Amino acid sequence: MIRIEHLSKDLGEFFLQDVTLDIKNGEYFMVLGPTGAGKTILLETIAGIYRVDSGRIFLDEQDITDIPPRERNIGMVYQDYTLFPFLTVEENIGFGLKSRKVSKREIKRRVDELANLMGVFHLLHRCPGTLSGGEQQRIAIARALIMEPKVLLLDEPLSALDTQTTERLRQELKNVHSITNTTIIHVTHSFEEAFLLGSRMAVMDKGEIVQVGTPNEVFRKPESEFAAEFLGVGNLFQGESRVDNDIACIDVDGINIVSATLKPGTVHVSIRPEDILVSTKQIVSSARNSFKGKIASIVDAGTILRIAVDVGIDNPFIVAITRQSFDEMNLKTGGEVYITFKASAVHVF
Amino acid sequence: MLKKLKRSKIKIITVLSSLFLAAFILVLIICVVTHTTLPALITSILSEEIQFAIKLSLTTAVVSTVMCIGISIPAAYALARYDFFGKSVVNTILDAPLALPPLVAGVGLLILFGTTSFGRGLADAGLTFVFTPLGIIIAQFFVNVPFMFRILRGTFQSINPRYEHVAETLGCTEAQAFWRVTLPMSKNGLLAGSIITWSKGIGEFGAALMVAGATRMKTETLPISLYLNMSCGELNLAIAAATILIIISLISLFVFERYGGFTRVF
Repeated sequence: MIRIEHLSKDLGEFFLQDVTLDIKNGEYFMVLGPTGAGKTILLETIAGIYRVDSGRIFLDEQDITDIPPRERNIGMVYQDYTLFPFLTVEENIGFGLKSRKVSKREIKRRVDELANLMGVFHLLHRCPGTLSGGEQQRIAIARALIMEPKVLLLDEPLSALDTQTTERLRQELKNVHSITNTTIIHVTHSFEEAFLLGSRMAVMDKGEIVQVGTPNEVFRKPESEFAAEFLGVGNLFQGESRVDNDIACIDVDGINIVSATLKPGTVHVSIRPEDILVSTKQIVSSARNSFKGKIASIVDAGTILRIAVDVGIDNPFIVAITRQSFDEMNLKTGGEVYITFKASAVHVF
Repeated sequence: MLKKLKRSKIKIITVLSSLFLAAFILVLIICVVTHTTLPALITSILSEEIQFAIKLSLTTAVVSTVMCIGISIPAAYALARYDFFGKSVVNTILDAPLALPPLVAGVGLLILFGTTSFGRGLADAGLTFVFTPLGIIIAQFFVNVPFMFRILRGTFQSINPRYEHVAETLGCTEAQAFWRVTLPMSKNGLLAGSIITWSKGIGEFGAALMVAGATRMKTETLPISLYLNMSCGELNLAIAAATILIIISLISLFVFERYGGFTRVF
């Protein structure tokens, strides 16, 4: 278990402010936030690269605030892989065990084991510079895992990769987590990633933790305007997708949502609240999705209002409209409205 | 059409300028090496005096280069990685010898080692710099250390500190992370710096002349030998020294261009 108490660190451009977090053993914990939120420095402070200005860090009840990185047994993987360019893949993965003065034979055995786990066995004699981003990141993860760390810190590990590689590596990270049962703290700015991987997550902004909870809780009930804005959510559903004639039809609690993303099977669907049109009469348009519903609630958030429209499924649709439209349309709780959105606004993952 | 003609005019002028410059340099070098006959050149090169000068030049340059590496690695690392009080002043001062004429540097060294109690103390301890080969080494070191320092500072700055961070999470102390990761990654910069420092050390004249003087068969490096023999009309010996200096510079240039780091400092 890792416990962070009132952690503060000021590096000028980036800073942490009174961060308190509890992360359980074996948890896959996501930290979500925009660029410059202080996510990387949070990880680097946990790893011991920076001394804290104030606050304490405990790992399994032991105070590790003042001990150097090498004695913490916390692994670190950066977005840009940071493989040592002058060493082969094999030497990169074995680097940490060499520091621990493990015998050559044992290093070889463990390197082979980790290389197999991460699917990079065939690359062992290559140099990192010649490999693809996905391959390099697998190696970087293997290099961290060989130390059998108590906590593995991942700093936007998938951000520099193409979509296909990202999806594959996400799955692999999930597998690695279930096989090794290592506690993972994974930093990202992708809400998809947080949702797919995290058992719990924290939202960070300007060096502070704004909210902690399961991805579902955070997405359904963002506790701050920042979280709601940044996550751009409110509309997140799960359904069965059927692909037919270059269009996907997703069954969500009995209604059919049409999407341009062709991904069959059980999927998540998200629609940004500002992408949904609300009208008092049914409108004829090129948009493929239109549903009739009742206004369940209206939340006034300044210039923007968030309207929850119940269309007869478990969770209402959230629609964001400007105050001007709201005033002109004379919308009231309980009123009947139509919501309309294009198939291309339906994000499927 | 007119535009095309205009452009080709510029092309002709610029290409001719570059050819002129190349020819000038080439003629100069050929003038030196063809001034005597080949047998005379070989005899001169094999003479005791030139052999002495070659050995003295090579050893002093190697020793001063090693000294430059020894001090520049920690100093450049500090200025690349850390913030400390007076950093920008230190940075400026460390670059100063670059702008200082070598003769002036030599006068300074002569005064420091020849007249101060610090210099006399060193002399009493057996380290006499004035008019000795040690003076040549210290002159080369002083004049050339900024080159090594600047190249290494640039090299260390170009290496993302995250490599060291990762190494530390993989069981390294700070010193081990430097030794096992940063230093190997600086290989090209180190090589480039060493070649420049060494070849400039071989050619160092002004500062060395001031501190070590020009004593035949004692502080006679290749440039000093060239100067001494030229001034007393021993043209063959002078040309021999010059030829060897040319060969050393060309080889250094080649090695520097080939392995010289800047394109491939990680």
